Amino acid sequence: MSLTFKVPIFDVKNLSFRVRGVDILSQISLEIFHGEYIAIIGPNGGGKTTLIRMLLGLEKPSSGEVRLFGKKLKNFKEWYKIGFVPQRASLVDENFPATVEDIVKMGRVANRGIFTSFSNEDTKIVEDAMLKMDIVDLKEKMVGTLSGGQRQRVMIARALASKPEILILDEPNTGVDMVSQQRFYKLLAKLNKEEKITIVFITHDIGVIADDIGRLFTINQKATICNDPKETLSCEDVSTLYGIDAHLIHNHKHEDHVC
Amino acid sequence: MTEMFAYEFIQRAFVAGIFIAILASISGTFIVLKRYSLMSETLAHSALVGVAVGLVAGYNPLWVAVIVAVLSAWLIEYLRSNFSLYSDSILSIILSGSLALAVVIVSLGGAFNNSLFSYLFGSILSVSNEDVVTIAIVGTPALALLLLFSKELYFITYDEEVAKTSGIKVKLLNFLLVTVVAIIIALSIRVVGSLLIGALMVIPTSAALQYRVGFKNTILISLFFALFSVVFGMSLSFYFSLPSGATIVLTVISLFILSLIVNKK
Repeated sequence: MSLTFKVPIFDVKNLSFRVRGVDILSQISLEIFHGEYIAIIGPNGGGKTTLIRMLLGLEKPSSGEVRLFGKKLKNFKEWYKIGFVPQRASLVDENFPATVEDIVKMGRVANRGIFTSFSNEDTKIVEDAMLKMDIVDLKEKMVGTLSGGQRQRVMIARALASKPEILILDEPNTGVDMVSQQRFYKLLAKLNKEEKITIVFITHDIGVIADDIGRLFTINQKATICNDPKETLSCEDVSTLYGIDAHLIHNHKHEDHVC
Repeated sequence: MTEMFAYEFIQRAFVAGIFIAILASISGTFIVLKRYSLMSETLAHSALVGVAVGLVAGYNPLWVAVIVAVLSAWLIEYLRSNFSLYSDSILSIILSGSLALAVVIVSLGGAFNNSLFSYLFGSILSVSNEDVVTIAIVGTPALALLLLFSKELYFITYDEEVAKTSGIKVKLLNFLLVTVVAIIIALSIRVVGSLLIGALMVIPTSAALQYRVGFKNTILISLFFALFSVVFGMSLSFYFSLPSGATIVLTVISLFILSLIVNKK
């Protein structure tokens, strides 16, 4: 992958997170550049979500520094450039009074001034985000009545409505069926290729990641960065990372070996 | 029904009541969705401390109630963010502490009388011109702030962390919300009473949520239920000489039960 921009979106240096003397993450250094498609894998409790939370300023690191678009987190103001879809996104409260359109519109809230209401342009951007996620037909529906896969697309449309440069998704497939998952990965790849949106997502679906992603971060207290996962990710790596036996399954369609 | 409007005190009570129905139902929507329902009860009891101080010291009890309720809301938020205490424990401690303090102040001041009873359960007889003016002067900016930030507050009630990572000033807006709610509760105790105002905040929204409609319509239904309950409840209060807070709350609970039945899954 050619890294044409010099200033990375995320520039992380020696980031550590300690709770009551126990290291959750130690000395993580990494960079994320424009246009990248990155998957983060690792065992539960390995610190993946903590890392994302520190990148977004939701958790304070014990030491180290995060720079976002070249700025220190506390000085960063252009949050609309970041689209975040958290782990529990598809597990929305069923009684929450929101139509699909209500939720997607939330993506425009931070972009407008206090004294202005939604403009025609906002409405157009919201429509566009729903179109990209193929949820226009659902716009009047209550979000609590949707399936896991539909909710997931609503949450991504909400993130897209702020016109982000980077989308960060934390295990977005929790509570989503297999067919929706495959459709979802296709959508992510499309956003990355056609819209040039940088994508970073945490996943457990090791089988899926080999196809489209550019780089792979494995997080288990420390970070291992794999620049060419198709070539270098082996089942031994996965076994070491998760502490379990991984077996090769031959994937006839793509002629890839996946674990 | 029209003959009761011949009385000036009824006109005053209705103006104050309608104002409070609007304030309580709109702020109540955010309170319920944020799971802050118990907070309205706690702040109502804190407002009672203000009433007690006002009654004993001879100040306008409504103004003192507003100040004490706001201070109490800030204390709750401070304790929540800086100590490892469960939210409902904090609310429970401040609720009972406030009530105890109010009773002690009133007893020491020798003002444990009918006047306090009206602040506990609401009284349409006792709404003065000064009260109506106070409700209008303080309530209007409170409502304006709520409406101005309604989209941001809605986003925060949906998902606080996502709102934060979108650049919304979550801490500041939470602080603003509890301040406005404290003000609204303190203003409401004249008409609804401190023991019953929590119900006017929480029940119209809880009933509206049964209809499973979008945010705007939920607020509108909640507003309608609150207005109907205040108007109907105050009329009952007038004709049967009952405390207005009680009749208002019983009306809104009837609407809630009706909503539950109509929307049974």
